[in-house]
Amino acid sequence: MQAAINITPLADVVLVLLIIFMVMAPQMRKGPDVNVPNTSKPNAQGDERGRILVSIDESGGLWINDQPVAAEHFGETLRTAVGAEPNPKIVIRGDAKLNFREVREVMIAIEQEGFRGVGLIAKRAGAEGK
Amino acid sequence: MQFNSNDSGSNLQSEINITPLVDVVLVLLIIFMVVVPFLMEGYDVDIPRASADTSAQVAESQLILSIGSAACPILTPPAGEGIPKDCQVTLADQKIPVAELPARVASILGGRPAEQRALFLAVDDRLNYEGVLRIIDLAKSGVEDLKIEFVATN
Repeated sequence: MQAAINITPLADVVLVLLIIFMVMAPQMRKGPDVNVPNTSKPNAQGDERGRILVSIDESGGLWINDQPVAAEHFGETLRTAVGAEPNPKIVIRGDAKLNFREVREVMIAIEQEGFRGVGLIAKRAGAEGK
Repeated sequence: MQFNSNDSGSNLQSEINITPLVDVVLVLLIIFMVVVPFLMEGYDVDIPRASADTSAQVAESQLILSIGSAACPILTPPAGEGIPKDCQVTLADQKIPVAELPARVASILGGRPAEQRALFLAVDDRLNYEGVLRIIDLAKSGVEDLKIEFVATN
C-alpha cells in the first residue's frame, strides 16, 4: 500500500492555474476601458497601488484612481487623491486614439497642482493586456 | 511489513520527490496572482511650468526635438509597430527622418554626463498620442537615462 498522497494531479492543476493567471491577470482591471499605446521598450513604472492613476479614455473623459472626474473638478480631486503623501507619483494612462492635445491639457492641469513629473503609461508591443 | 522494508533503505526510491517543486510553484502562483495585475510600464516625463517663460530659459545646451503635424503626419494611431517612414522630425533645428533619431540623439547627448542628458520635446497638438509615445520610445533607445521634458507649445 502506498502511504504518500499522490500529488501529481495537484501539481498539474496548480501549473495550469499558474499559466492561466499569468496570461489573464494583466487583462483584469476595473475602471475605465483604456487601450494604452503600444511601444517597443517602456520602462518599469512599478506597482500601480503606490501611484496616483490618472486615466483619459477614448472620448477624453478623465478618471482619477478609476473614479470618473469632471474636468472642472480635476484639480481638487487630484489634491484629495494625493492627500498628505509627501512624494506622490502620478501616472497618466491615456488612450492610444487620443490627440496629444488632450494629454497635454491633463499634464498642464497636473502641473497647476504643483506636480512636475508624470509617467506616461504604455504597454510593450506584443504583450497582452491593457 | 512493507513499510519497514522501505524505511530500512533496502529498496532504492526511484521516484523524483516533487514536493519541493509543488511548494515553489504554489508560491509562484500566489505571487503572480497578487502582483501581476498591478505592474505598469511607461515613460517618465517632466511637464513644463505653465507659469514660467520657457523662451527665456532656452539655453545653448538644450536639445529640442520638434514634431510637427505637417512633416510627421501621425494623426491616427500608427498601424502595427514602429513609426511611419514618412515621418520627419526636427532635432536641434535640423530636419531628419525619424529613423535617424536614436543615432543623432546618441551622438549629441551620449558624451554628456547622465544628469545632463535631457531631451526637450515640442509636439504638435494634433498628433496622435500613441505616435508621440513611439517617438519618445525611439529617442530613448539611443541613450541610457535620457530625461524627457515637454516644452510649452503655442
